[in-house]
Formats: sequence, structure tokens, C-alpha cells
Amino acid sequence: MTAMLASEQPHLNRADQLKQLRRQMAGISEASGKIGSPRRGHAHVDDLLPDSEARLPVPQLLASVLPDALPRGAVAVLSGARSLPLSMVAAVTAAGGNAAIVGQPNVGLLAAVEMGADLSRLAVIPDPGTDPVEVAAVLMDGMDLIVLALGGRSVPMTRARAVVARAQQKGCTLLVTDGDWQGASMRLKARVSGYETTSDKPGFGRISKVRLEVCAAGRAIRQARAV
Amino acid sequence: MSVASRVLAIWCMDWPAVAAAAAAGLPATSPVAVTLANRVIACSSAARSVGVRRGLRRREASARCPQLHVVAADPDRDARFFEGVVAVVDDVVPRAEVLRPGLVVLPVRGAARFFGSEQQVAERLTDAVAAAGAECQVGMADQLPTAVFAARAGRVVPPGEDARFLSALSIRQLATEPSLSGPGRADLADLLWRMGIRTIGQFAALSRTDVASRFGADAVSAHRFARGEPERGPSGREPPAELDAVLQCDPPIDRVDAAAFAGRSLASALHQTLLAAGVGCTRLAVHAVTANGEELTRVWRCAEPLTEDATADRVRWQLDGWLNTRIVVDRPTAPVVQLRLQAVEVVSAGALQLPLWGGLGEEDRMRARRALVRVQGLLGPEAVQVPTLSGGRGPAERITLTPLGDEPVPLADPNRPWPGQLPEPSPTVLLDDPVELLDAQGNSIRVTSRGLFSADPARLTTRGRDNRLHWWAGPWPVDERWWDPDRAGGRTARVQVLLESERPADPGTALLLCYRQRRWYLEGIYE
Repeated sequence: MTAMLASEQPHLNRADQLKQLRRQMAGISEASGKIGSPRRGHAHVDDLLPDSEARLPVPQLLASVLPDALPRGAVAVLSGARSLPLSMVAAVTAAGGNAAIVGQPNVGLLAAVEMGADLSRLAVIPDPGTDPVEVAAVLMDGMDLIVLALGGRSVPMTRARAVVARAQQKGCTLLVTDGDWQGASMRLKARVSGYETTSDKPGFGRISKVRLEVCAAGRAIRQARAV
Repeated sequence: MSVASRVLAIWCMDWPAVAAAAAAGLPATSPVAVTLANRVIACSSAARSVGVRRGLRRREASARCPQLHVVAADPDRDARFFEGVVAVVDDVVPRAEVLRPGLVVLPVRGAARFFGSEQQVAERLTDAVAAAGAECQVGMADQLPTAVFAARAGRVVPPGEDARFLSALSIRQLATEPSLSGPGRADLADLLWRMGIRTIGQFAALSRTDVASRFGADAVSAHRFARGEPERGPSGREPPAELDAVLQCDPPIDRVDAAAFAGRSLASALHQTLLAAGVGCTRLAVHAVTANGEELTRVWRCAEPLTEDATADRVRWQLDGWLNTRIVVDRPTAPVVQLRLQAVEVVSAGALQLPLWGGLGEEDRMRARRALVRVQGLLGPEAVQVPTLSGGRGPAERITLTPLGDEPVPLADPNRPWPGQLPEPSPTVLLDDPVELLDAQGNSIRVTSRGLFSADPARLTTRGRDNRLHWWAGPWPVDERWWDPDRAGGRTARVQVLLESERPADPGTALLLCYRQRRWYLEGIYE
């Protein structure tokens, strides 16, 4: 890139050239440090990563809450309705990413299929043993999205920091449910705002739709609500 | 005619009948007939002595010999039982060619030199086959087809005498051996008979051009045979490579970490063998023998050819399972002294070839798989589960979970129609907790034999908490597997209910309930 720049603008003096190069270097480190890492095989860094490489697709539900999609390498704490992590898994696997669900033996995967998930790109680890965070850290090597249920535990800052660094390096997004993760960049809270039934009369109809309300908060995003 | 090519044929008489008798556990002297399309195609000598013949109808054969054991023809059974005979023959003289179950030919020159004479070879082979539980006749001649006929006659044709031996045989004999004759051979023999040619010698005396111009290609090969002209020799099979690896454990293994080391070296030995044979293993058998002589075996079936690490992992898991099983009775009583890996099913290495450019997203998939395999190595074989869509009516049975590495086979076919399947959306949390569904008076509710509620539901008690119902729908009866005796009887039905909440803004909770064996279970939560 330097060579190209020099050949295109031969009459810039040395000081200007240096200044411009510094600016570019700052841009590069910002891009790779904040938005997530380049994936393996992209050793040469463009000054801006292509959008699909740095972000994961999000379901329609979150489109208004997270207008900038879901950055790779982020850690989000999800709470409330279980449809939210499943819809995120569905969106990522449908777009060709790999996902794993750790520590949720009672998850209804059929619901994910109905949201469009590709089961061949999904793996389930119902019982991760005594240290689910370690399992998630190993999985980060190959997965694009990990849903990690902590079973009510909280991960302290010291432990979290090492795992977050690994997540950012590998470009894997971690969704923590059923527990707390200190220093998470994003917190999403979903609750059921209503059920639609085909008939209001008891004894008739069936449940046709579950409406969710999602609240998002965090460093990366402004306070937002969506229904 | 050179003396170089001498062929020995071993003919086991009435092999289909012998194999059928062996399969049924009958003695060789019992009358047995094998039928195909209601006609006897083979019978044992005991049956023949009382008048059963080939081509008889089944009922007629039974009439001639009332105690006749009649079985349907099964070429697989014949071949299976003949494999034992072939193995015995291979032990004496290697590289025998099986023309059909019951007939083996082999080159005899080297064996004759080794054992001293052709007679010696014939004697040894007859003894070996008799030891394997079959009767046989041995014949020798210069050419392969002549040797077969010599075996049927039980004779040794001296070198260069093929044509003389054949010339006395009836022309009908041309079609008796199906493995040596073309499709129209019976018609040819019949035609020659009607033309007045009664022996093979008379047929051999015809000029070849006449035979070729009048009777076609198969007749030319029959003519060559009749003259005893050189034909192909026996093309023996290569013995299949032994794809296994054995480790004698010294000191004996009683700990898992030692087993892991043993598994690694054994896996590397097995993969050397597989690599040399150019195949990959998709089904692996792990055998272990303990100091007290117990033998443990388990076969691992895999969706993809095993890598060396995957093999080592499976050995470790298996030994871990055997040595540390919770059920003390199943635990081996002594440490393992011998370990053997055997590639039960292999695929050619071409199936292992990665695409040159890689499929779209294939690299990601491989990376994900490697990560999952590492987790499997940490937690055990059953820890990582891969979901597949399966057939069924309830939300839980429509997903089949298989351990990673096993072939993902759904328990039921999802593409079949499943009438009565629950419609979308499915519950996102699956449970199986007993609950109480009550009516307004507090009596518990049943599903009647007409598939209706005994009363309108009003309340639901879950783990001591009492909730009023805001809305309910159902019951939707599930009528499946009523023919299965293993399945507990009783009606099954599903219900969706919406619980009322205390706070006015809260919509409550929607639940899926399942009624089975006169109890209600909370099956899923919609959230």
C-alpha cells in the first residue's frame, strides 16, 4: 500500500507522507482492535474490514435495537425469554456461520429450526462439566457464535478478560445466558410482551405467535427498546 | 501342450444342499433338497438315493422322500459356508480361485514341487477339506475346464491327455458346469445332440471354421475346450490385507492414562497399515483381552473416515468406559493385557481426498469440527451432540441428537407425513415435569376415551404454585404406536394453556402440556 501511495502521489513531501501513513496505521489498529479480528487467511489487513467479516447477522427482531448488527468478538449477556438466543443462533447458522449451545440441556431446538436455523452448523453440549467457560474458550477456535449458559454463576473480571481477549482474537461472539459476565459490552433483555392466539375464546384456536420485547443496553449501543 | 500349466480342481458335490444342511444344523447324511422357483436345483446324496432328482417339483420330491428337508436357494448362504472351505484350501495351497461356491481351481505346479507329487497335493487337499466338514473330489488336468470335468469324474488326467479324456464324455456334459459356459450352452448341447453328435470327441473332430460359421462365438469357445486347447489359468485372489493392529500390554493396563498412551501408539500402527492399503476406516472395532481371559469388544461407527487422533480418542474413551464403569459387575476383573484395533469397514482413500479449492464455507466447517472434537476429547464421546431433524408429533421427538462423529441418523423420517403434528411455533424450553390440571371445583381433569376433557380446565398447579388459566386449547389427542407392546398403554393428548398473571401488564406464560398414563406433564414453555 505504501508503494502504491508513493507512486500515485509523487510530489508529497516527506512530512506529509509520514503524517498520512500514521493516520492510516491508526485506522488499521482501530479497525482490528475494536470491531474484531480479521479471520485466519486474511493476514494482510485492509484499512477497513468488509462488513460481513467483522459482523454477524442478527435476526429481524434485533434489527431496530442493534442497527449496526452484532460485532464479532463481542460478549453479550442475555436474559429473559429463551427465544432471543435461539433466534440469534438461527440467524447466524442460516447465514453460514457455525454455532454451539453450551450448557442448556432443555433448549427447544425445533423452535430454532422454525426460525430458520441450519442444524448441520449447530452443535449442542448439554453438560459442559464443572467449567463451562473453559469449554466455551476451546470452542472459540472454530465457532462464530457460542451461547453459554452459566447456570446462575457469575464470571469475575479477571477470568472474563482473558476469555474476551480470546474471543476478539478468534472473531467469535459469546452470548451469556443464565448468569452474569462482568464487563460485558452489551446486555440484552427479552420478555414476552404478548401471545397471539387464533381464537380468544378458551377451548378454541392455538398459539400462533409469541411477541417479544427486547431491551438493549451497553457500551457499544445506546439505550434502545424494540417490540 | 506344455507341462507347465497343470490345474487342480476341487469339487464339493451338491454344495447348496450341503450348505443348507450345515445352516440348519442337520447331519450330512440327512436328505436335503434346495429349491428355486418350486424346482429342486440341488439335493444331498441321501436324497438322491431315494429318488429325488434335479428338476423335480417340490411336492413330488417330498412325496418320494417324506423326511426330506426342503429349503429355498440362497447363493449368499452357499458362499458364506464355502468361505471356510476356501480358507482351508488357502492354508495348503494359496491363491485358489473360486469359480462358484462348491468349485475351486488352483495352479498345482508349485504345490506339486513342494509336496513331492501331484498325488500328494490331492491327498492333502482332500484331507484338509474333509477336516473342514465337507466332502470333495479332486481332479487334475492341463486346462482349467478339463480339470473341472476331471474333478467331477474324480480323475487325474495325465499331461497332454486332455482331449483324449474329454472325447469320451457325452455332448450333454458341455452345459453341466454353469461357471464355465456361456448363456446359450444348453441349447447348443441340445442342438448338437439332435444333429447326431453324441460325444465331445465327435464335436472336437469338426473343423473350427465350420463350427464358427454355424453356431456362433460360444460354440467356438466350447470347441476350444473340447479340443483341450490352452485356456486361461486359474486367477487366484490376493488374500485381503489384514487391517488390524495388536498391542501386547506389558505391564497390563489398569489406568486410563496408560490406556491413552497405548491407544496412541496403536492408532499410529493401524494408520500405517491403512495408509499402505490406501484406505480409510469408517468402522473401528476395539478389542481388549484382560488377564483373566475376558474379551471386551465394541464397534465404533463413524460418519467420516477416522483420523489417527480420532482413533486414539476412541480407544481412550472405550478403555475409560470399560475400566471406570459405574456398574461394578460390568467392570473387568483384571487389567487389560492385549489390545487390538480392527478396521471393520473401510472406504477407498479417494473418499478422503479434500477438494482442490475447497467448497464454499468448507474451511469454516472443518475448523468448527476440529474445535468440537477437542471439546469431545476433554469431556467424553457423548458430550458433543449434533442435532438432526427427525419425524414425530411432539416438539422433543422431532429433534434427534447424535454424538459428534457418529452417523447422524434421525430416529424417524421427517419427510413422511405426520398427521397431528403440533403446528408452529414450538416451545423454546422443553421440560418433563408432572403438573396438576384442575377444574373450577379443584378436581383433577382427565382426557376421556372420546378425546375430550372431563371438565373445563380452570387452574394449573406447578410445583406447589397455583395459577388460574387465562386461555386454553385442546386436547389434541395423539394416536400413535398403539400396536407397540413395549409402549405403556393409555391415551396421550396435548394441550396449550395460557396462565393468568398477577400483574395486569404481564401477558402471563404460555405452556404446552402433555397427558399420558393418566397424568399431566409440563412439556414446554413458549417464551
